[in-house]
Amino acid sequence: MRLTASLFAIALVSGCATPPPADDKEAVAEWEQVNDPLEPMNRAVFEFNTAIDKALIKPIATGYREVVPAYGRERVRDALNNLRSPIILANDILQGEPDRAMQTLMRFAFNTGFGIGGLFDVASPGGIPYHDEDFGQTFAVWGVGEGPYLVLPILGPSNPRDTSGLAVEWLSDPFNLWMDNTGRDWVVWTRTGVAGIDKRESLLDTLDEVEKSSLDYYAAVRSLYRQRRAADVKNGGGNGENSPNLNLSAVEPPAASGN
Amino acid sequence: MLSRRSLIGLVAAVVSTFAVSLPARAEMETEARAFIQKLADTAMNNVAVKGISNEDRANRFRTLFVDTFDLPEIGKLVLARHWRVATPEQQQEFLRLFEDIQVYTWTRRFKDYSGETLEILGVQPESGGDFLVDSRMLREKLEPIAVSWRVRREGDVFKVLDIKVEGASMALTHRSEYGSVIQSAGGRVDGLLQALRKKVAQLRAETLAAAN
Repeated sequence: MRLTASLFAIALVSGCATPPPADDKEAVAEWEQVNDPLEPMNRAVFEFNTAIDKALIKPIATGYREVVPAYGRERVRDALNNLRSPIILANDILQGEPDRAMQTLMRFAFNTGFGIGGLFDVASPGGIPYHDEDFGQTFAVWGVGEGPYLVLPILGPSNPRDTSGLAVEWLSDPFNLWMDNTGRDWVVWTRTGVAGIDKRESLLDTLDEVEKSSLDYYAAVRSLYRQRRAADVKNGGGNGENSPNLNLSAVEPPAASGN
Repeated sequence: MLSRRSLIGLVAAVVSTFAVSLPARAEMETEARAFIQKLADTAMNNVAVKGISNEDRANRFRTLFVDTFDLPEIGKLVLARHWRVATPEQQQEFLRLFEDIQVYTWTRRFKDYSGETLEILGVQPESGGDFLVDSRMLREKLEPIAVSWRVRREGDVFKVLDIKVEGASMALTHRSEYGSVIQSAGGRVDGLLQALRKKVAQLRAETLAAAN
């Protein structure tokens, strides 16, 4: 409660970024490309997240990596991935991807059965590789724009579209609903916690690298998040000409400008 | 209305363009693939080897980097609109510092590489006559990483313009990041150069001081 109140206060104090004057066309183009009108607030939340991460989340993820051998962490990840199957299947279907939906369904059947409740991903070596999907990506496929960049407390980089997707997922996950309805909500919290640690562990090296080599960690993460999401939406296909805002050549400086 | 003669001329022109360009393009794609393969082989056999000093590794990487990447063009892509307001001296200093950042960052990364191999998946045309060489970095016991190389033919050699890692363009990320630094320095390119100098000094010290 206190946390929410102080975050709200930060948001009020820091407010919005000031857009450049309309007659400076290139600055306006850059402003639109960066897509971060709430930057002061986002930076404050990012700083808060970084502090929590350094003090708590990252040490836990590092400890998890050191204590649990790779074999054990693989079992955890395989089980978490398998639990996501219903959500992934729903999104495969909602995106009109019957082949991928079939893959998800087969994986769920094989891994839950032969893989002892999902602990072993037997489908991947058998030729049906894992893929992830979420409601944020489905909304994107339906033509919903990402909206302004948004840093969520604890959860990190997002945007209104992906945040809505996350909310839908929380409300609709069949496994969580089942646990909730049978009075075992501790299972839901355990799953969420373990998934968070697994995710942070998988990002340990990448984020360390980005932080070490960047001049502005916030801006680097913002750009990387938006590009990665755009690539996820396209399921890794295409040649990278995803959205005009993220296209390198579209924003190349004009040959000559009259200033 | 097109006259009959000009229509035939047009069709002939289109046909001949394709007749010439298709084999030429296929050849270019083969060359682009060979170029990236050679780059990856050199990086693994020459830069990522064990038992050399950090300084030696940094020098080896710098040689490869300057040789195979079009730094001035990357500088323009990364600085975008700020490139044109920068003085020639600022542009030159930016290129030097940018090169140093890459050298010390990658020297450290290459030191830890072991058993990675690059598998080239295919080549596709990119806008502006460039090519995108899709590949993936295969790692021991870890998920492969998707890496796409944007390459351009310059005269009779190829140069790398950008690398996309899991869909994220390095040039675009740097542009966003450096633009943000310039903005917080009141729009001055000098503010970026100052921050870069500091970063280079820090990375250089860390990389060279690390155990060989």
